[in-house]
Amino acid sequence: MKKVLALVLALAMFLSLASFASAEGFSGEIKIWVAEATVDFTKEQVEAFKAAHPEYANMTVLVEPVGEGDAAGKMITDVDAGADIFGFAQDQLARLVAAGALEEVEPGNAEVVKAENDAGSVGAVTLGETMYAYPMTSDNGYFLYYDKSVVTDPTSLERILADCEAAGKSFYFEINSGWYQTAFFFGAGCELTFDTDDEGNLVAMNSTYASDAGVKALKAMIETAKSPAFVNGSSISNATNLAAIVDGVWDSTPAKELFGENYAATKLPTVDGFQLGGFGGFKMLGVKPQTEDDKLAACDALAAFLTSEDVQLARYNAVGWGPSNLAAQQSDAVQADVALSALAAQLAFCAPQGQYPGEYWSLATALGDDVLADKLDDADDATLLKTLQDFEATCLTYLAK
Amino acid sequence: MTDLDYLKLSKPAKMAHDLGSGIAAIPGRIAKGLKGLGQWFVKLFKGLGLSIADLVSTFKNGDWKTRLSYLVMGFGSCARGQWGRGILFFIFQTVFNLYMFFPNASLSGCYYLGKLGTLGTLETYKEGRRTVYGDNSFFILLYGVLTIFFILAFIYTWRLNVKQNKVSEQILKSGRKLKSTKEDLQALMDEQFHKTLLALPVLGVTVFTILPIFFMILVAFTNFDATHQPPSKLFTWVGWDNFRQLLSTDTAAYGGTFKQVLLWTLIWAFFATFLNYFLGMLVAIMINKKGIRLKKLWRTILVMTIAIPQFVSLLYVSKMFAQDGLINTYFMKWGWIKSPIPFWTQAGWARFTVILINVWIGIPYLMLIATGILMNIPADLYESARIDGANAFQMYKKITLPYMLFVTGPYLLTSFTGNINNFNVIFLLSGGKPQSLELAGNAGYTDLLITWLYKMTVNDTNYKLAAVMGILVFVVLAVINLVAYNLIPSVKNEEDFQ
Repeated sequence: MKKVLALVLALAMFLSLASFASAEGFSGEIKIWVAEATVDFTKEQVEAFKAAHPEYANMTVLVEPVGEGDAAGKMITDVDAGADIFGFAQDQLARLVAAGALEEVEPGNAEVVKAENDAGSVGAVTLGETMYAYPMTSDNGYFLYYDKSVVTDPTSLERILADCEAAGKSFYFEINSGWYQTAFFFGAGCELTFDTDDEGNLVAMNSTYASDAGVKALKAMIETAKSPAFVNGSSISNATNLAAIVDGVWDSTPAKELFGENYAATKLPTVDGFQLGGFGGFKMLGVKPQTEDDKLAACDALAAFLTSEDVQLARYNAVGWGPSNLAAQQSDAVQADVALSALAAQLAFCAPQGQYPGEYWSLATALGDDVLADKLDDADDATLLKTLQDFEATCLTYLAK
Repeated sequence: MTDLDYLKLSKPAKMAHDLGSGIAAIPGRIAKGLKGLGQWFVKLFKGLGLSIADLVSTFKNGDWKTRLSYLVMGFGSCARGQWGRGILFFIFQTVFNLYMFFPNASLSGCYYLGKLGTLGTLETYKEGRRTVYGDNSFFILLYGVLTIFFILAFIYTWRLNVKQNKVSEQILKSGRKLKSTKEDLQALMDEQFHKTLLALPVLGVTVFTILPIFFMILVAFTNFDATHQPPSKLFTWVGWDNFRQLLSTDTAAYGGTFKQVLLWTLIWAFFATFLNYFLGMLVAIMINKKGIRLKKLWRTILVMTIAIPQFVSLLYVSKMFAQDGLINTYFMKWGWIKSPIPFWTQAGWARFTVILINVWIGIPYLMLIATGILMNIPADLYESARIDGANAFQMYKKITLPYMLFVTGPYLLTSFTGNINNFNVIFLLSGGKPQSLELAGNAGYTDLLITWLYKMTVNDTNYKLAAVMGILVFVVLAVINLVAYNLIPSVKNEEDFQ
C-alpha cells in the first residue's frame, strides 16, 4: 500500500512539475538566422531579452549567420531544418507563406507592430488581412552616391553621364536587376504590382508597363546604357573608376572610404524630364510555424523584442541599419546620417515594395540583358511596346492557377 | 560493301561510311535491345510460372518441417540443425513484419504503401495557434519506394527459404549430411567468398544509388515545386504533364528554349572537347620537339593553371572580362577599341568567351596526357618516315594522330560526356548569362542543360521540371555514347597497334 501511495505521490509531483514548467515559459532550443554582420549584435540582445524575461532564462538560443538573401530559399527547401526565427527581405514574404514557412504574428503583437512602425513596413509584412512578420528595418532602398569633385549637378542623369564621360569616369547602375530597373518604370509613372490572398498565392497582376510611359522608361534605359560612362553594376567594392553609383545604405562605409572628402549622397536624378522612382524596401523577422504552443509563444516574444524601438535603435548604432520604428526614426543619430537622409528623400518617390513572384526577378534580368546586349538599340516604339506586352504576358503566367 | 571495297575508299569517304553505318545501325541496335528486353520478360514470366509450380510441388511433397517453413521462415533449417541459416531467415522475417506492421501506424510500411497512390490526402491544419502537420508527400514517396524494394527483397528471400528446404530434404534423402553453421561460415570465407565481398557494395548501391534514381524518376511525374512543398503542402501525381511543359512548343511551355539550350550544350561539348584536344596536343608536340630549350619551364608554367583552384581562377578571369574589367580597361587605354567589348552581355560573345577561357584551362591537362603518349610512339616509325621523305604534317597525320586517337579514344568519349555536364566552368564564368526575354524558364544563352537544371532546383525550387530534365540529360548522353563508342578506333580496330 505504501508503494502505491509513493507512486501516486511521485506521479502527482511529476504532473505538478510539468504544469509548473509550462507556466514558466520555455526552456528548449530556438534557432535564429540573421545576416552575418548582426550575429554578435543579436547574441547580445538575446542575453538582454533573457535578463528581462526570467521565465525564458533557461532556453538555449542559437544565432547562426544566414544572409537575408539565402534564408528564404533555405527555409523553403527544408522547413524542418530551418530556423525558428529568421531575417529576410520583404520580397520573399509571399513565397515563404505559400510554402508554409511563416507563422502569423501573434494578434496582440500585431496591434503593437501596426502602431509603432511606418506604414510602408506594416504594409510589407501584411498579406491580405494577415500580418506574417515583424518589421525590422526600413532602409532597403537605393539612391545616388557620387563624387562631388566630378558630378556637378546630381539632379539630372544626362548631366551626371556627361560629367562622367568628360572625366573619363564611370556611372554604375544595375540595369539588369528587377529591383533597380523599377527606378525607370515606376519613375515614368508605370505600375507593376501583384495581389496576393491570405495564403501567399499571387492572384492578380496590375501592370501598366505596356504603355507610352513604359516605352518612355525603356527608351531612357536604352539611352543610359548607350553612354560610354555607363557600367552595369551596383556594388561599390567591385566597381572600378567610378564617379557615381546607384546603391543602398549597406554600401555607405565603402562609399565613404572611396570618395573620402568628396563623398556625397542624394536622391536619384531625373531623366528625360521624369524623376527616377523605385522600390522602398524593408527587412523583417519571421517566425516558423511551431507544433508546440510554448515554443511559439517564446518565439513570438523574442521576435517582438528583437524588433522593438530600443533594439532597432541599438541595431542602427551597431551596424547602421535604418529603423522602421517611428520613434527610432526620429532620433538625432538617424536624422544626421547622410545616406539615410538621401534614402528618406528618395523614398518620397518610391512605392513600398509588395510581393513579386520569384520568376519576376529573372524575367527582369532577361529584359535588362536584352538592353545590355544592344538588342533594342534600334527598335522603334512599336517594337518596344511589343516587348513590354510580352513582358506583361509572361508575368501573367506566374499567377497561381 | 566488302572489306576490299571499303579499303579502296578515300579517308573522308571512309569516315562518312563509318558515320553512316554507325547511325544506320541505331534502329537495328534499338530493335535488338527491345527484342532482348522482350526475351527477358518472356524468361521472367516463364521463370515465375516455374517458380510457382515448384512452390506448389515442394509444399505437396515436402515433410511438415518444410510446410511450416512456408509460414515461419527458417523453421525447416533450424529443425534440421542448420541454426545459423534458420535464425538469419527468421530475423529477416521478423524485421520485415515489424517494418510493415509497426504499432505506430504512421511509421509502418503498410501506411506508406497505402498512401503511395495519392501521396497523402491529409492537409496541414491549425489548432489554435499551433500547427499540426498533415501527410508528408515527400516521405510517403520516399518510404513508399523503399517499401516496394523491401517487399521484393522479402519475396526473394522467402522463395530462397523454400528452396533451401527442398534442397535439404533431397540431400538428407540421399544420405549425405547437411552443412553445419560452422561449415557455412567457413564457406563464406572460401568458395562463397564472392558473396561476402559483394554484400556490402550491393546493399550500398541499392540504397544510395538505385533507390534515389527511382525516387527522382518518380518525382518527374508529380507536381513537386515551390507551391507544393512538404511538410505544409501536399504534392500528387500528374502523369506526363511535366514532360509536356518542357518539350512542347506552346507559348507557356519551354520547348523552344529547351531546343536552344540542348543545341548549345552539344556545340559547347564539341568545342570544349576537340579544341582542347588538338591545341593541347599541338603544345605538347611543340614542347617535345628536339632543340626546344627549357622544356621543364614551359611545362611548369602551363601546369600552374591546374595548381590554382578553378573557383579562384575562373571567378577572377570572369571579372577580368567584365565591362569594367582589366581587359576592356586596358584595350581602351591603349586605344585598340573605342567602347568596351560586350564579353558577357551579348550571346555570341559570351559563348565565344567561355569556349576561349575553357581552352586556357583545358590545354595543360591535354598537354600532360599527350606528352606521355608522344614519348611512347616508337622513334623508328618517324625515322623510316623521314627516310621516305615525309614532311612534318604527313608524319603527324599518318603516325602521331592515329596513335593518339587510338590511345585516347575512350578518354575523348568520357571527356565529351564530362563537358556536356561541365557545370563548374559555365557556372563560375557566366552563370548561364546573358538571359533574354526570348528564352523561357530563366535560361540564359550560355546555360548548359545541367546549369539550367541547377537554376530550376536551387533558385526556383521547381523539382518536377528538374527531374524531367535529369531524365532527358541521361537520354541525350546515352544516345551519344552508344553512337560514339562504336566509332572510336580503340573499339573498331582493336588490333591496330598491338
